[in-house]
Amino acid sequence: MKKLPMIALGLAGVLTIGLTGCGLGSGPSGNEDSSPTDGQVKGEITFSTLQLKPTFTDYIEGVIADFEKANPETTVKWIDIPFQGAQEKISTDAQAGTLPDVINLNPNFAQPLEVQGAFVNLDEAVPELREKYVAGAWDAFQVPGEDGSFGFPWYLSSEVTMYNASMFEAAGLDPAAPPTTYAELFDDARTLAESGASAGFTGMHPALENRFITDLGRMGVPLMNDAGTEWTFNTPVAESYVAELAELYQTGVFPSDSLTQDHAKETEAYQAGQIALFPSGANFLSIIEENAPDIAETTDVGPQITSEGGPTNVSVMGLLVPKSSKNKATALAFAEFMTNAEKQLAFSKIVTIFPSVTEALDDPYFMDDSDGSVESKARRIAAEQLTDAQNIVPVQFDDRIKAIVIGKVQLAMNGDLTPAEALDQAVEESNAITGK
Amino acid sequence: MKPQYKWLPWLFLAPALVVALTFTISPFLNTIVLSFTNSTTLGGGSFNGVDNYIALANSPQFWISTRNTVLYVIVVVPLLMVLPLLLAVLVERNIPGIGFFRSVFYSPVVASMVVVGLIWTWLLSSDGAVNGLLQSLRVIQEPLPFLTDTTLLLLSCMMVTVWKGLGYYMVIYLAALGNVPKELHEAAQVDGAGGARRFWSITMPGVRPTMLLVGLLGSIAAMKVFAEIFVISNGTAGPGGQARSLVYTIREVGLGLSGEIGYASAMSLALFLLTIGFSILYLRSQRTDQMR
Repeated sequence: MKKLPMIALGLAGVLTIGLTGCGLGSGPSGNEDSSPTDGQVKGEITFSTLQLKPTFTDYIEGVIADFEKANPETTVKWIDIPFQGAQEKISTDAQAGTLPDVINLNPNFAQPLEVQGAFVNLDEAVPELREKYVAGAWDAFQVPGEDGSFGFPWYLSSEVTMYNASMFEAAGLDPAAPPTTYAELFDDARTLAESGASAGFTGMHPALENRFITDLGRMGVPLMNDAGTEWTFNTPVAESYVAELAELYQTGVFPSDSLTQDHAKETEAYQAGQIALFPSGANFLSIIEENAPDIAETTDVGPQITSEGGPTNVSVMGLLVPKSSKNKATALAFAEFMTNAEKQLAFSKIVTIFPSVTEALDDPYFMDDSDGSVESKARRIAAEQLTDAQNIVPVQFDDRIKAIVIGKVQLAMNGDLTPAEALDQAVEESNAITGK
Repeated sequence: MKPQYKWLPWLFLAPALVVALTFTISPFLNTIVLSFTNSTTLGGGSFNGVDNYIALANSPQFWISTRNTVLYVIVVVPLLMVLPLLLAVLVERNIPGIGFFRSVFYSPVVASMVVVGLIWTWLLSSDGAVNGLLQSLRVIQEPLPFLTDTTLLLLSCMMVTVWKGLGYYMVIYLAALGNVPKELHEAAQVDGAGGARRFWSITMPGVRPTMLLVGLLGSIAAMKVFAEIFVISNGTAGPGGQARSLVYTIREVGLGLSGEIGYASAMSLALFLLTIGFSILYLRSQRTDQMR
């Protein structure tokens, strides 16, 4: 019987030694180039998208069918990943070396993998394509400190300012003159809140997680140093912006529960007629139309809020090809096909998004608002903004940094910290993580 | 008499052992190993000694999480030990229709935490039912910031945990109450003891071992609190994340494409030690009580 404890001890030892290596290694598997980028376009590839099913199933399947027809020896297997849990799935796939051959990511999702060298450098593999795309969008898939760009820009969205024209009228504001600068935005929001106090609506929602860092960028605040290694947004301009946010929150211009709410709650509040101003992507017009037709009827749009000399923002989705792909030539060909002018233009006609190739963006469709609809107006305004737009949010602004920064701003807004303290602490704590 | 096959018991135990080794023991040992590395969710990493533990000791977020978790246990566990017992005494009687009330009290247990959390978020919002009721009763003038004040948010989450756990522990107490001899109650009644006296002197001692079990289960559950805080605070743990629990912080640190698995593992181990420490302290205090 004395043998048993010895056996158990031995097993535990072996197990522990075996486990010692678990979770350790050299990073994502299969980063070494496993197939040529200029090989033959044939064979099977997998293509993953972020939450496009079922709304855009017909469009995606149509493009896949066209690609397979144009390249008869190819098969594309499409999988769609919901946003919720996407990061976990991607990190598991990256560790196991089973990332799809073409993967749809935004720059912030892509960055941790780009840093580890997981994707094909398009500036080397297909350098001739760069000039076809909007420059700001192509550059969105660059990594600070690394050469090259790693993603085909796919669809773009650009913020416009949606507003409830009836509430503007009720507040004595000109419904044909939406705010265009931060000063005008907050002045209008104050007037609207005052007018709406008895009618049950207020000015606007801060949606900090969605807008705060972009707002700083649009105000010309330097968010990071040139090397992308340190956060630098604790400037006097940022300080006065946080002070203004605090004043707006404490005086009821923002809804009282909005401090910890996100963009989804802001959308709900606008659709419920609880706020009058809604700066967001033009694609939200169709969502408002679907969920709140009464509000959609009185909704008008203005340009993206900017500050003098500050840039406008563009959000980018991209397609990336992992180095671990066993069929890179086909994957690259498919990503190029999916993002070509014809296909992107067709996609833009289904929903208010914008193509990332200049040829498609120059199409008269984007400038034609002669039908007088709000959608057409929003499309024209957003398209005009895109030419000089940048992806303002640094790729290093991941969920953890976001939680720290927004948390400190929340504390400043409810008076627990001064704006200067909040920004200094946010920069210090963010640098502790980014600098690791 | 010698057993014919010494390995036979191991054969019967094998399925359970394999499951336990694969899904409990091996991840646990792996967590211990990883806590001494700088591993990330994307793999990689190397041993870094006790760096993660030093970082933990210097992290304000870790201490806020620990403080909130301990507070959670201190507030929630006594309530979960007492309220379900009172409820069980109430529904134990055989009155017509009592089965309906038993089911109603148990229903929050089977409801999804996400759904429950969303309902309570709606109830506790500034323009929600709770503030509406308090204002119409003129208890308050302005709505209470249940969702945006750290203390009120934590208290709200604690209340939801208690409300959701009542039915589960009530069922455990119902089983225990069935084992308290009826004769004792009858004898005490003959001797002139009232309801409160009988509850204190007969029911309470009769269900004491069950109270011990409920206390232990309740503290382990309270140590692991996450869903209530996450859902009710809209995924933020309140302004500045000040209402965070240890599990909330472990998730925040360890998930996502830039998750630090090594650091999160060290925090998980700290939670494990805290839970074990609490349980030992609790069991010891109960044993000392019984010896008196």
